Amino acid sequence: MSTQLKHKDEELDAEVSGHSAAARTITVAVAGNPNSGKSTLINAIAGTRLHVGNWAGVTVEKKEAFFEFGGRKIRLVDLPGTYSLSPYSQEEIVARDYLVHERPDLIINVVDATNLERNLYLTVQIMELGIPVVMALNIYDEAAEKGYRIDDKAMEEMLGIAVVPTSATKKTGLDELLATALRVADTPKQRAPKKLNYGEDIEVACDYLAKSFRSSYPALIDHYPQRWLLLKLMEQDSHVMKELGLDNLDFLDQALHHLRRAHGEDIESIMADARYSLASGLTHEVLHKPELRQTELTERIDKVVLNRFLGIPIFMGAMWLLFKLTFDLSAPFGKWIGAMTDGPFKRWASAILTPLGAPDWTVSLVNDGVIAGVGSVLVFVPVIFAMMFFITFLEGSGYMARAAFVMDRTMHSIGLHGKSFIPMLLGFGCNVPGIYATRTLENPKDKVLTALLVPLMSCGARLPVYVLFVGIFFPKNSSTVIWSLYIMGILLAVGMGLVFKQTLFRGEAPMFIMELPPYRMPSLHSLCVHTWEKGKHFLFKAGTYIFAVSVLVWFLLNLPWGVEHKRDSYLGQAGAAIAPIFQPVGFGNWEAASSLITGVIAKEIVVGTMGEIYAPKKDEKKDVPTLQEDLKEVATSFGAACVTAAKTLLYLPQAEEKEEDQGGLKVAILGAFTPLSAYAFMAFVLLYMPCVVAIAAMRQEFGTWKWAGVGLFYQTALAWTAALIIYQGGRLLGLGG
Amino acid sequence: MIPLGLLSAGENGEIVEIMFGRGAAQGGPDPEHEKTMVRVEEMGLRIGKHVEMLTNGGNTILLRVDEARIALARRMAMKIMVRR
Repeated sequence: MSTQLKHKDEELDAEVSGHSAAARTITVAVAGNPNSGKSTLINAIAGTRLHVGNWAGVTVEKKEAFFEFGGRKIRLVDLPGTYSLSPYSQEEIVARDYLVHERPDLIINVVDATNLERNLYLTVQIMELGIPVVMALNIYDEAAEKGYRIDDKAMEEMLGIAVVPTSATKKTGLDELLATALRVADTPKQRAPKKLNYGEDIEVACDYLAKSFRSSYPALIDHYPQRWLLLKLMEQDSHVMKELGLDNLDFLDQALHHLRRAHGEDIESIMADARYSLASGLTHEVLHKPELRQTELTERIDKVVLNRFLGIPIFMGAMWLLFKLTFDLSAPFGKWIGAMTDGPFKRWASAILTPLGAPDWTVSLVNDGVIAGVGSVLVFVPVIFAMMFFITFLEGSGYMARAAFVMDRTMHSIGLHGKSFIPMLLGFGCNVPGIYATRTLENPKDKVLTALLVPLMSCGARLPVYVLFVGIFFPKNSSTVIWSLYIMGILLAVGMGLVFKQTLFRGEAPMFIMELPPYRMPSLHSLCVHTWEKGKHFLFKAGTYIFAVSVLVWFLLNLPWGVEHKRDSYLGQAGAAIAPIFQPVGFGNWEAASSLITGVIAKEIVVGTMGEIYAPKKDEKKDVPTLQEDLKEVATSFGAACVTAAKTLLYLPQAEEKEEDQGGLKVAILGAFTPLSAYAFMAFVLLYMPCVVAIAAMRQEFGTWKWAGVGLFYQTALAWTAALIIYQGGRLLGLGG
Repeated sequence: MIPLGLLSAGENGEIVEIMFGRGAAQGGPDPEHEKTMVRVEEMGLRIGKHVEMLTNGGNTILLRVDEARIALARRMAMKIMVRR
């Protein structure tokens, strides 16, 4: 845009809005079908400037970005992907309420050029709002590859809106799109979209209604986009009628009288048909397809991937790979972070605090409370980001939709959607990313139910507990015993799924309908942006919860002031107080109870706490490394982590790590538990309330404590019941007590 | 005219009717069901459209409509009548 032209535009704008144009932030709403490449386009434009939140009151994601382009401030608001603006889903209502009530300066309508007709159906509806529209004719490159020719100039002419061919994946046309958007936003009066003709019968009725409505409710008609309001009234859109507080308008019946006689009662269908035939007619005018349609790569891949017999094995293989890559690649980095927070960071904190004259308890609070607690969260960071990266890849490539398709039948039996399988599977690694992965489910009911079942999958943090106890009590058949615990979790998830389906989530399982997008290779940039988007929630928010809890636990373990024996600390006292609850299930002692309390932070802490309680560490005199040695260790061990990750990827053998000596602990545990009570204890650890990180994740995902509370309650009840059945049942069978 | 759900893989058909309502046998009118059928239309399965059955096995079927692949519960596919 030339400066002169810009100057002129600014003057025009000043006339229209009364503001100085350069200072004004232009609000641009981005609307489009799911799979139209809308989020890729937004990521390509806004990148990391994107803020993800929720739309007020609903769990629909809201993305926003503020940035400057051509010296102008732009606020980009991503509307949920929808096929229409009807009031049938939360996404549609959110999108439409935003457009009607917030009235953005401009709408960028992202349209999939390979699927013009269906996408134009939404365009036609968007144009009813009278807000200036710029169409991003996206995936233009693929359409061209298929031999499609789209006459975008003719489309501009017919719709009266600017059309810009784009390819979000190749990042072409984006600058032009934004430049066009600015131009249109500056001259809104001249750029209002054309009023499309819906056919004589509808238009006559609409005109009649306009007159009657204007005389009866003059205020309302200026408050809403006029054409949109009239059409919605004709459709008797329940959402709009309720909002306006209108019902039984007698002139509405008069307006619709002829339409009903000529076309039947269902005005909504008549309107939908009118819109669709506009979209269809337009498509015929502007789109030239090649005569012969070649079988696409996508279809050929689908023949194999969705095959009745191969589908599930392929899916299992893909999941195994996802699982393997995630945990193998991230484990060395997790260990590295753990070693860093445990060693150098604590030493540095002491080195800084002690000379400052900080009392011992402050040093201990910082080291054993804050650094140890936050460190226990940070070790999850690599695994979460790795997992989110691979999930994003599966989503972006188009396979995730296929996985849902393949698993739908199996998951249906416990009232879940096919897609729910993925979070459950991830739960075996760590429940937290499993809960975050429920984000990929559209239906809020599915999300909640899946998140409630995910913690029954035995995560990696429970494993150290099993390993410790199985090593002591079942050394001969250790793998069978551990395997039985995993199976117990799965069976209980199926059982609880059925129970929830009958109680909290009554009603038919949602009917499956979804689009399977074509396979595409996601770009590294968009993979990284989406991974960061998914993972940063964990980093920031769950981090603050766990920080608070770690400080709390430290105080509980160290108060009352100057406590000598752990038994007398508040935690010990609490353990002793709740110990009787565990009497019937076989481990009614304060040591077990206390370690279960701390295990709430992360289940592997059960082992750590038992270690502290049963076998207090001797004061070992170690050589304290210097700062330089520490820094060297930080760097070299990071290098070693990279090497280990790379080796794992290539399946090279690795040196086994030496197990810590836990001799004292073993003797103590042998005295406190029997094989039967040990098994009951392991079952309890598997099932009882999810760790605080998982609870925080649930709180975050659902915006309320309700479901986290339900999970906490039902799991703890389930755990106690299961342990009771195991312990008392075992005693009845004479397995000893 | 047969229900879409009965086409076998590779077969083509033209949609001639979409049944929005639910018969008395299934418990009478149901707004949820109607909603789902509206969604079916919005995703491009409309009267007059030519569809190709890509896979038909199990309780979910896969169709091609224009350039889109739509996966659909068989229950819904039985409410859509096609002419081969």
